Amino acid sequence: MRIFLMQRISAIALLFFMTIHMIVVHYPPFHIDFSRILERMDQPIWKAIDIAFLFFVLMHALTGVYMVITDVERFGTFKRALAVLAVVIGIVAFVYGTMTVMAFQAPTTASAFVP
Amino acid sequence: MYKSTGFISFLLRRVTGIALVLYLFTHMWVIGSANSGADVFDSRLNFFQSTAFKFAEIALLAAVIYHGFDGIRLLIVHYFNVTEYRKSLFYAIFAASVLLVIAGGIPILLFALEG
Amino acid sequence: MVTATIRIQRFNPDVDKKPHIGEFHLEPDQDTTILDALQMSKSQQDGSVTFRRSCRHAICGSCAMNVNGSNMLVCNKPLAAVLDKNRRVTIRPLPYLPIIKDLVVDRSSFWEQYQRVKPWLIPPGDLPEKEFRVSPEEVEALNNAETCIMCGACYSACQVIGMTKQYIGPHALLKAFLRVVDPRDTEPGERLANLSGSDGVYRCHTIFNCIDACPKDLNPTQAIETLRKLAQKRRALDDARNERQKYIEEPVSTG
Ligand code: FES
Repeated sequence: MRIFLMQRISAIALLFFMTIHMIVVHYPPFHIDFSRILERMDQPIWKAIDIAFLFFVLMHALTGVYMVITDVERFGTFKRALAVLAVVIGIVAFVYGTMTVMAFQAPTTASAFVP
Repeated sequence: MYKSTGFISFLLRRVTGIALVLYLFTHMWVIGSANSGADVFDSRLNFFQSTAFKFAEIALLAAVIYHGFDGIRLLIVHYFNVTEYRKSLFYAIFAASVLLVIAGGIPILLFALEG
Repeated sequence: MVTATIRIQRFNPDVDKKPHIGEFHLEPDQDTTILDALQMSKSQQDGSVTFRRSCRHAICGSCAMNVNGSNMLVCNKPLAAVLDKNRRVTIRPLPYLPIIKDLVVDRSSFWEQYQRVKPWLIPPGDLPEKEFRVSPEEVEALNNAETCIMCGACYSACQVIGMTKQYIGPHALLKAFLRVVDPRDTEPGERLANLSGSDGVYRCHTIFNCIDACPKDLNPTQAIETLRKLAQKRRALDDARNERQKYIEEPVSTG
């Protein structure tokens, strides 16, 4: 039941975040480079949005994979181990992703990116 | 193998879901290059912005859109008594996905072709 | 009438390694059912054709089979309705279940899961002298679930059952739904607790095959959705049930 609820909650959240992500970040398509991303990512609000997005996306992805695997009878016996693994992967990926979001910082050596 | 529209929707949901999880972790690794600085980021992203990858992005868009609409369909089924309309609901979200993929795919295609 | 071709999936565990298709050519009448056609093949052409049937009027649930890819009862279905334009029909045993012989499948997992949900009514300790009184609305809410004939068509149409036999299955969940919403049952909360484990209602992926397959037009998917919703407020349901049972012997007002 917990997993089901996690999936639905993250699904609803993702409907919202994914729409933002697709429309604001990827539409219209453009050539991606660091300075271009930085324009948006320099604002703290975008950092917050992206971290929340990351959280829900990981929740949805990992619960989804967990359900896909435990659907198969043979793997049902490893339920516990799989759940632990999913939590570990989730935490590692969340920390790594958060670091990435934070890395979009104007370099302190102020030369290259000053307009 | 019991074939039905329900099975098709389930199969598509699973296939797009697994594909999106694989994409998610690749995506995090690619964008994660921002951790090692703007230069690494730019060079790694350049590699993934060749024309071939842009075509693949249309497939990605299709997966995201179908999976999202299928999720909306499931949420509707969860919270309203509409099992009677299960087939029309599936056709409706499928048609909506196709339209949206076309609408979103054209800009990507144009962008891919012009450079 | 013109000849019809009945293609039956054959499997004899003593000699065959894999199932194969056997063809029978018959001259059916206008009102020949699929079951009649099977019976004709057996009595006129090959006595070893094996299938289950008993009542011949869609109430015992023994004759569920997979006809042209859909699960149905063969005893109440006219043959003419399933023949394709070449006047052929393919009959296979229920999918996802171990085949015993020809069209007979091993249904033990089906019954084991059924036992698991305690399909019987658990009435209050002191039974009423005369009868339980239940309102028409309360009967309406059961959604005809009591008319299930346990044929296994929904169970073997479910792709989740194809992947794991640990899943309780639509037939047993429908029965559980019947008991949970029945005002006479005393343990809805506990039933729901047993149904919300990883093999229960949350294993359903809303594929809808069970509705398509049901020969009695029942709705296991909606039953599962209802159970999911109720499972999140077990305590409240138990309290409401206790309240309801205080006046279960009294006549219900009909507005
Ligand atoms: S023979 Fe009894 S249901 Fe068909």
